[in-house]
Amino acid sequence: MTARPVSWVQPSRRLTGLLLVAVPVLLFAWMTIWPILSGLTTALTPQQADGSRPLSFDNFVTFFSDPYSLANLGITLWTCLITLGLLLVICIPLALYLRFAQGRLATYVQTMAMFPMFVPSIILAFAFIRVLGPNGMADLLLNAVGLPKIRSPYLTPWGPVIGLVWDNIPLTVLILVSGLGAVSNQAVEAARDVGAKPLALFWHIILPRMWTSVAVVVSFTMLGLFASFTLPYVLGPASPEMMGPFMQRTFRDLRNPEMALTQATITMVFCIAFGLFYVRAVARNRGN
Amino acid sequence: MSNLSISNVSKLFSTTLAVDDFSLDVADGELVCLLGPSGSGKSTLLRMVGGFEMPSEGSIRIDGEEVVHLPPEERPTGMVFQSHALWTHMNVFNNLAFGLKLRRLPKAQIREKVEAVLELVGLGGYGTRGVTQLSGGQQQRVALARSLVLEPKILLLDEPFASLDQHLRERLREEVRDIQQRLKITTLFVTHGQDEALSMADRIVVMRDGKTEQIDRPDIVYREPRTPFVAGFIGTMNLIEGVVQNGVFSKAGYSTPVPVADGPAVLAIRPEALELTVAGENAQGHVHRVTDYGTHGLVDLVLLDGTRLKAMVSHPDLFATGQGVSLAPKAIAAYRDNVLIHRVALGKETAALRQLVDA
Ligand SMILES: Nc1ncnc2c1ncn2[C@@H]1O[C@H](COP(=O)(O)OP(=O)(O)O)[C@@H](O)[C@H]1O
Ligand SMILES: [Mg+2]
Repeated sequence: MTARPVSWVQPSRRLTGLLLVAVPVLLFAWMTIWPILSGLTTALTPQQADGSRPLSFDNFVTFFSDPYSLANLGITLWTCLITLGLLLVICIPLALYLRFAQGRLATYVQTMAMFPMFVPSIILAFAFIRVLGPNGMADLLLNAVGLPKIRSPYLTPWGPVIGLVWDNIPLTVLILVSGLGAVSNQAVEAARDVGAKPLALFWHIILPRMWTSVAVVVSFTMLGLFASFTLPYVLGPASPEMMGPFMQRTFRDLRNPEMALTQATITMVFCIAFGLFYVRAVARNRGN
Repeated sequence: MSNLSISNVSKLFSTTLAVDDFSLDVADGELVCLLGPSGSGKSTLLRMVGGFEMPSEGSIRIDGEEVVHLPPEERPTGMVFQSHALWTHMNVFNNLAFGLKLRRLPKAQIREKVEAVLELVGLGGYGTRGVTQLSGGQQQRVALARSLVLEPKILLLDEPFASLDQHLRERLREEVRDIQQRLKITTLFVTHGQDEALSMADRIVVMRDGKTEQIDRPDIVYREPRTPFVAGFIGTMNLIEGVVQNGVFSKAGYSTPVPVADGPAVLAIRPEALELTVAGENAQGHVHRVTDYGTHGLVDLVLLDGTRLKAMVSHPDLFATGQGVSLAPKAIAAYRDNVLIHRVALGKETAALRQLVDA
């Protein structure tokens, strides 16, 4: 069959096609592009005392010269990086196990690893408080055997980290396991056959095939973590606070939408950076 | 200078007995083919020798040393897998050099060894190629080279040419056999193709359901199959199920003396050992189809009860569809309960005819 020239398509069908495409495009423009542009405009045109709105970077200057705002940005980046590091340390061995182990135990572990995906954050937060909070289950158990109480991570920067790690394990494991699918059993057995012990096997044969999925994990989880709200809000310290709760408080409690939009814009810039990282990783994977 | 000794090895996968009390000794420099239908336990056996499966029972010794409890990385074996076993993120050179690097050989020595082996498998100068840029045949040569470069005591190949086309398969088969004989490397080769086994092996192990049916030289396996299964699996074989009474085997109008006790028996006749004579009134069967291959002809015939047989004839133009024929076999074997009970050569079977069957 030869390819049909486009002009052969009847005009009415072309119209239908355009309309079908138009719906998502318009929705995207309305729900995503427009809010971004209007938010950016508001942030870049601070209202003056006389009611005029000249173009100015004043809001951004304010943000970056305010120690409290910077501390919030800092704690957000810190939380993201620590969470990401812990996620990789926990999930890479878990994914390796799930990829290469057989039998019933592996099935149980898989179910366990996926479970957090079905638990809403707010329930997770209260479970956390009940277990690790002051006078929680951990304290009770320690007390029962005559040991001192733990220093609860509740309301410290470690609170959100623990919650976010738990919350993000399923997605991370899923991405890594699917990435490990690129390593064939025979390639692994061939490596063992030529004398590769487990560490050499991981380092030289498995890891080189995992970089793409690790890059996807980094960008995905960073995107999710950076703008996370519930867990930092419930489990984190009051000050400094992560960008999510910070924005919400600036908007609702301080009634300063302009500044909240500035914070949102800065958050978005970071997220775009992680997004680009993701696009690059995927493109590089397509390349080879 | 290595020999392999497998004694009483069994492997049970939950409920499947994949290998059942298997024993085999492979002498130094010998190439032994494991031949059998799919699911007969060939791969499982090979993987136990390579260390990828743990035998449920039995022992495997290389040069007299027990290896059953060694992991693959510590065994002096080299395995070539069916496919997809090259490391695609490394080029050809690095695929070959990986094992040598793990053994911490000096760089210059690694380069020297890798280049020599690449030359040996006919891929000299291919070191910098990516493995995905190679054809299927070249990839399998790289896989073979990767094992050879480490100079294993035992070379294991699991249907290494199964994913290649017929023509390439035949060429690689010869190349592997040449290399194996040049290096005098003790080799265990798994295949489900009889021609592969017949053309390469010093000895063939015919396997069925995890058990050995016969271990012999290829020509003996072909000429003197010990069980009807072997007879039917290797080459083309006419198997006729009939009854022996008073020293005479008979089946639907055909009968021949077989001096064994009364009872059921399976008669085995190679097509090239089945001569036909044109018969009229008292024909034992009739011609169903004649195929002329130029060098010889193949006659499909039907006995009175519908049993189909094949006979190789040198003058196919003597026969025509529907014609009555009588059977005059030159060599027959009789089996009962999966055991050979009688064999007789009524004439000489020529080597030339044998090759025709393989072709
Ligand atoms: N890992 C395994 N788990 C369960 N059963 C297996 C496994 N490997 C092989 N088997 C079974 O063992 C039998 C022999 O398999 P295999 O050795 O692969 O046969 P072959 O290589 O001759 O085709 C088959 O019935 C197969 O289903
Ligand atoms: Mg197999």
